[in-house]
Amino acid sequence: MQTNLVAEFANTAEGQEAESILRACVHCGFCTATCPTYQELNDERDGPRGRIYLMKQFLEGGEVTEKTQQHLDRCLTCRSCETTCPSGVEYGRLVDISRGLLEERLERPTRDRLLRQALARVLPNRRLFGVLLRMGQWFRPLLPGALRAKVPPRQEAKPWPAASHSRVVLALAGCVQPSATPGTNASAARVLDRLGITMVEAPEAGCCGAVNYHLSNHDAGLDAMRRNIDAWWPAIEAGAEALIMTASGCGAMVQDYGHLLKDDPVYANKARKVSELTIDLGAYLLQQDLEPLTVRQSSGKVAFHCPCTLQHAMKQNGTVEQVLRRVGIDLAETTDKHLCCGSAGTYSITQPELSQKLLDNKLKALTIDQPAVIATANVGCQMHLGSKAEVPVSHWIELLDR
Amino acid sequence: MSDQPRVSQAQLAAELRAFIDPDYVITDNETMKPYECDGMSMYCEMPLLVVLPETVAQVQQVMQVCHRYQVPVVARGAGTGLSAGAMPHADGVVLSLAKFNRILEIDPLARTARLQPGVRNQAISEAAAQYGLYYGPDPSSQIACTIGGNVAENSGGVHCLKYGLTVHNVLSVELITVEGERVTLGSDGLDVCGMDLLALATGSEGLLGIVTEVQVRLLPVPERARVVLAGFDSVQKAGDAVGGIIAHGIIPGGLEMMDSHAIIAADDFAGAGYPREAKALLLCEVDGTEEEVEEHIEQAETLFRELGATSVRTSRSEQERALLWKGRKSAFPAVGRISPDYYCMDGTIPRSQLAFVLTEMERLSQEYDLRVANVFHAGDGNLHPLILFDANVPGEFERTEAFGSRILQLCVEVGGCITGEHGVGVEKIRQMAIQFNDLELAQFHAVKAAFDPLGILNPGKGVPTLRFCQEYRSLEHKCQQHAVEADHD
Amino acid sequence: MTDRSEQLLEQVLAAKAAGQPLRIVGGNSKAFLGRQADAESQDLNVGEHRGIVEYNPVELVLTARAGTPLREIEAALAEHGQALHFEPPHFGDSDTLGGTLAANLSGPARPWSGSVRDQVLGIRLINGNGEHLRFGGQVMKNVAGYDVSRLQAGALGTLGVMTEISLKVMPRPAASLTLVREMSAQQAIQQMNARAAEPKPLTAACWQGGRMYLRLAGAQSAVEATAAKWGGEVLDQADGFWRSLQDQQLDYFKGEAPLWRFSVRANAALAPLPGAWLLDWAGAQRWYRGDAEQPQLEQLAREAGGQVSLFRGGDRSGEVMHHQPQALAGLQTRMKQAFDPHGLFNPGRLYSWL
Repeated sequence: MQTNLVAEFANTAEGQEAESILRACVHCGFCTATCPTYQELNDERDGPRGRIYLMKQFLEGGEVTEKTQQHLDRCLTCRSCETTCPSGVEYGRLVDISRGLLEERLERPTRDRLLRQALARVLPNRRLFGVLLRMGQWFRPLLPGALRAKVPPRQEAKPWPAASHSRVVLALAGCVQPSATPGTNASAARVLDRLGITMVEAPEAGCCGAVNYHLSNHDAGLDAMRRNIDAWWPAIEAGAEALIMTASGCGAMVQDYGHLLKDDPVYANKARKVSELTIDLGAYLLQQDLEPLTVRQSSGKVAFHCPCTLQHAMKQNGTVEQVLRRVGIDLAETTDKHLCCGSAGTYSITQPELSQKLLDNKLKALTIDQPAVIATANVGCQMHLGSKAEVPVSHWIELLDR
Repeated sequence: MSDQPRVSQAQLAAELRAFIDPDYVITDNETMKPYECDGMSMYCEMPLLVVLPETVAQVQQVMQVCHRYQVPVVARGAGTGLSAGAMPHADGVVLSLAKFNRILEIDPLARTARLQPGVRNQAISEAAAQYGLYYGPDPSSQIACTIGGNVAENSGGVHCLKYGLTVHNVLSVELITVEGERVTLGSDGLDVCGMDLLALATGSEGLLGIVTEVQVRLLPVPERARVVLAGFDSVQKAGDAVGGIIAHGIIPGGLEMMDSHAIIAADDFAGAGYPREAKALLLCEVDGTEEEVEEHIEQAETLFRELGATSVRTSRSEQERALLWKGRKSAFPAVGRISPDYYCMDGTIPRSQLAFVLTEMERLSQEYDLRVANVFHAGDGNLHPLILFDANVPGEFERTEAFGSRILQLCVEVGGCITGEHGVGVEKIRQMAIQFNDLELAQFHAVKAAFDPLGILNPGKGVPTLRFCQEYRSLEHKCQQHAVEADHD
Repeated sequence: MTDRSEQLLEQVLAAKAAGQPLRIVGGNSKAFLGRQADAESQDLNVGEHRGIVEYNPVELVLTARAGTPLREIEAALAEHGQALHFEPPHFGDSDTLGGTLAANLSGPARPWSGSVRDQVLGIRLINGNGEHLRFGGQVMKNVAGYDVSRLQAGALGTLGVMTEISLKVMPRPAASLTLVREMSAQQAIQQMNARAAEPKPLTAACWQGGRMYLRLAGAQSAVEATAAKWGGEVLDQADGFWRSLQDQQLDYFKGEAPLWRFSVRANAALAPLPGAWLLDWAGAQRWYRGDAEQPQLEQLAREAGGQVSLFRGGDRSGEVMHHQPQALAGLQTRMKQAFDPHGLFNPGRLYSWL
């Protein structure tokens, strides 16, 4: 479409990237059909095409206020629209850029600011988050219903495998996952162990940077990325086969390190290398011989929720399902696979109402075939789904860890 | 219609907010922006306000308020129209039916579905699939466009040659009149007593009333459907092959054509494996019982080879078939990969004229120095030449418009019409004078007046004023000395 | 063979000048349709304005003058293995294309092939102002302007005189076969619709006299395979049966008793009325002969999601068409005004107020 960015943006890298993305959009409207927030609200301001126009207006110098910001905030950054767009519009990048620039322009109300600051401080801090989570788990019965639902039950991780193999892969521990779902990486390690692969974590690695970056704290996010690259580099140099992502939200972020740090003279190359090595656990397993993982017993149907980050960002739609089928797991039918569960990082906290509606819709879609368990590939989705699902919700890898 | 609105935005908004959630009466220019155009983004206009009702009663009340103050109303579905039919009126209200997105009922035995107007076309078939049924008319925008918009435009699609246009698949429509009254056109039965107002309303582009409910008929999903993909080294051969198929008594479920530009762009998006080197590509779908599909596929393959296809390939699985169609149906926006903007024409011509018109368009493309990508419903002669341009280049759009007008004139000259499924809207309003004489246009105005005496429903679209036409004809005459007079007998 | 459009136009202009109502007559085979015509009306005979103007088999399009007899058209199509998909009824030899569209009459294939209105691509019309206008065209898809062509369907000529009509035509099916089963009407409704929901080459379905008739037509292989799967007695001379049903020649249609036509939801339950039913269009069209009165029948039609009209016989001085809600009647009245402001054409033929 026609664009006319103001000088302020036209002369920056982000601005030029944004314009390039905008120009690709031909305003066909296909993307609105698969946008969870548009499908829920039916307001074009809350759909990708509408947001593109709002962002275009902002970048072209039009007046924008918290109204525009609200509609951009409602975006899940699920990137379902990207998968749908025939013209190749990179919506995710556009919204990250625009939100970041807008954040610098507009001051948020105190409550919002405080909440986002709290999220930015607590979530990436593995230890702090862990402590708070344990307290919540302990006081669970006394918590009000809404808060209680957000606190996942205490989980005990299975023992990490002792054996060591020549084949090594790196894994990201993450920030929330170690305390919320400690079983995920443990199961992944055990499964890989059965395939003769050793999975290791870099202790110094922390948050992938997504929390801060998607809260429009770009600098803080980029710092986290640099930190992780530093933490992983020794292992990469040592020959790790891949950087396995057991949480697609983090995977999507790490996969973008190369792009986001391309202008950083110090980290550009390393970032690109890291992104190249990054692969989702499912995609990595699909490259292996899965015979040893064959599941002997059927414990009922499994409904697999493919996270938006796995579908649209990492473009691994269908990958995990293939792995699950190949090991003999009975997959339940589901509908509206493209729709987000409403977790979307910090979305469930910053946009609680819409998030809950999306969760309801998603759970309905996941349970049409009466599955015995819901499996997913991202810790955020797992916790979110688990807060309301009437069947157990686990990471898919745990199903293979017999 | 009065020249000046009789009510301020604030006053109108206040009245609307009395019965509509204030969040869904949009008055700020900042966030009204997404509503300034439809799929035809070159035609833009900011409305007075945008309203998103949730109940039919609210739609009625909106109409009553707007009728009282003579405020223009532009209905909007998904805003995927390609003729600026959903472009707002500067002094008017954009009435979005997007919130009406429920499938109210599916009757598998009667093979019908009752739908709210905002239900997406594709969603109908998705919901009907569990009963082994589907909805026939499948515009390429079916992933997003709404049944209400389909009714308003009498939308067609890939399968229209065999299964008909929207008008052929709608049983009844609930229409809110300009005064806010609720009227049902059609019924659960196939015929109604008296003149066919349902047919009149279908394709009326929001100029006669607001569609608030649609009852469609569903078709059984064929036992089998396979696509034959035939590549040609010229558009002419492909054009002739279209007639050849039909001459042999094969009525394909779909018969679509793409030229080289479209082939490349679509394949880039879908990864369907089209013969990228072909100059033209025909997708011929044969559906029916397993027995007859086998029979006809064989015939089609043979025919295509005989008619000069350089490559012939038939889908082997449902997944492959779906992928082939995914590419075709996304071809319009996929050209966004090779051009910043496109201008889509929609003329229909007799199939026998395909080769001639395609050739002529190639010539005109050079004359106007604008690329054209062709992606169209070859089976029913509905051309969709996409004129590729860059809106950021001054004057390029104007040249594009002229080229487009010339193309439509050519369509009329060879015995066709200016629009087959996208509607007239704003885009083709000038070309109406090419297809109709003043008396015919006057008759159209009389029809409009019967539904909308004050002319507040989607004004300035679909049917031009007579003065506008005369001026346009004069202009056209100056530009095109060789314009052919329409038959005015 | 003759173009009499000039004469027709002159007659309309004269009638306009004199305020003389006109009764449009094709072959007058459907004179029994609609209300009793205005006694003061003068005939406007379109039957002599006949002849096929253009027919291109490959285009699947045929254009003919409105007075052209159906049999002439059908004969021309048959030569090229094509046919009128909607199977218009012949009430004699003089049925015209114009009368068929004006009456919106379609045969047993209606649910699968559409009605006459669905096959119309364009018309030429003389309106009440004495203007000879062209709408639609000769191509499959045309949404320029309002769909005046299809609007004529069912209008019984009340909106103007059609002089030329372009139609979409289709290839004649390769094979055809009719299956018969004995069952009750209600069972047949269920069965016919269940069959219709299957992806099989069903092209007609009716019930009469305790028997359900299903017609399969299409590729030989598909017809045979379906017949084998569905089972049932194969009807000899099936073409004759369907022709008789189409032309209302079956014994059911004989006699003077009022003939009511329901167009309702195909699977609506059969109304518990004493009298004789004939179900066609898989239950979507129902013929009824019995003593029930119009208010009751209209209520039943409404409950079944459709409408009822007094197709033939009975009291034709009152309304014979299903009563319309006021808003709809208002629209129709204004539409009449839009096309025929002087009320020249078939006044009172459709409704007393039209």
